[in-house]
Amino acid sequence: MNTRQILLLWAALLVVMLACRCLPLVLLRGRSLSPRVERALSLIPVAAFAALVANDLVRPDAYAQDPLLAMRALASALVVLLVARKSGSLVWCAVVGMGCYALLALAA
Amino acid sequence: MRAQDVRQALSLAAPVMLAYASIGVPCGVMEAQVGFTPLMAFLFSATYYSGAGQFMVSNLWMAGTPLASIVLSVSLVTTRQLLYSAAFAPYLGKERRRRALGFAALVTDETFGVNLDRFSSADGWDLPRANVVNVASMLSWACANGVGAALGAVLSLPTDVMSFGMTAIFICLLVGQLKGAATALTCLAAALGVTACKLLGLDDVAIVVGAVAGVACGVAFGEVRDQ
Repeated sequence: MNTRQILLLWAALLVVMLACRCLPLVLLRGRSLSPRVERALSLIPVAAFAALVANDLVRPDAYAQDPLLAMRALASALVVLLVARKSGSLVWCAVVGMGCYALLALAA
Repeated sequence: MRAQDVRQALSLAAPVMLAYASIGVPCGVMEAQVGFTPLMAFLFSATYYSGAGQFMVSNLWMAGTPLASIVLSVSLVTTRQLLYSAAFAPYLGKERRRRALGFAALVTDETFGVNLDRFSSADGWDLPRANVVNVASMLSWACANGVGAALGAVLSLPTDVMSFGMTAIFICLLVGQLKGAATALTCLAAALGVTACKLLGLDDVAIVVGAVAGVACGVAFGEVRDQ
């Protein structure tokens, strides 16, 4: 990628990103919201995190080529789940998750 | 702003900063491989500031994807930020628009989780402390990317292991949000939505479709329960 392509990509992505990050806040801020909208907003975090976790763990193409990869990711996720329930610590979850994933990769 | 507030915000940002430092370096290494200089990697990370998006840019370019397709694919993944921004609207109603926008411009998956958790807590949270979380996390990410791009030619890091650190953070944030049947159903619907998209080959929109499906199911469940 040359410098011109990088600048073009950067500008295009930045415009989209700033629009996505700022427009809803500008449009919804300070308005009294209906109970249904408030309920929907309160459920966004759990929906977003569940979608992000599923997006990372569900990889049909990669798993079809390497079934052990699926085992490694799911087993590590299970361990992280236990750590999260026990400690609630982001640091411990990240450290244990990466450690577990690396160990299983070595074992494979 | 008191020093005590800064310390509190930094202690909350520390896990995110640690994760960003470990994942930002391999991201910078990959950016160097597609032509970014260390300064470009730093500035791109400080302004665009999206882990998933930046990894996608490098991966797609190395796979030979045209520039326009990269922009479209990454933009689709970026649309989840619409949900995050909307979620903060009830908490920032009394702030000045410029200050609120300054905060919103630096929200990521992880700082969204940390700040929303605090804003919705009984203890309360304010914009200055939320901004400390955002700026500290952004600097950690941008510096790690710059270092990664500088070391790009000589480093070979296991990016899959580093990426799993981010997954682990998402799992921890998700577990903290699970409180009752409505959230459990929302979680399940979101995961099924993502899985369905992936099986259909719609990877680019999987996160947004899954999240919207989850919220829709959760709202429907709440409406039925209230009747």
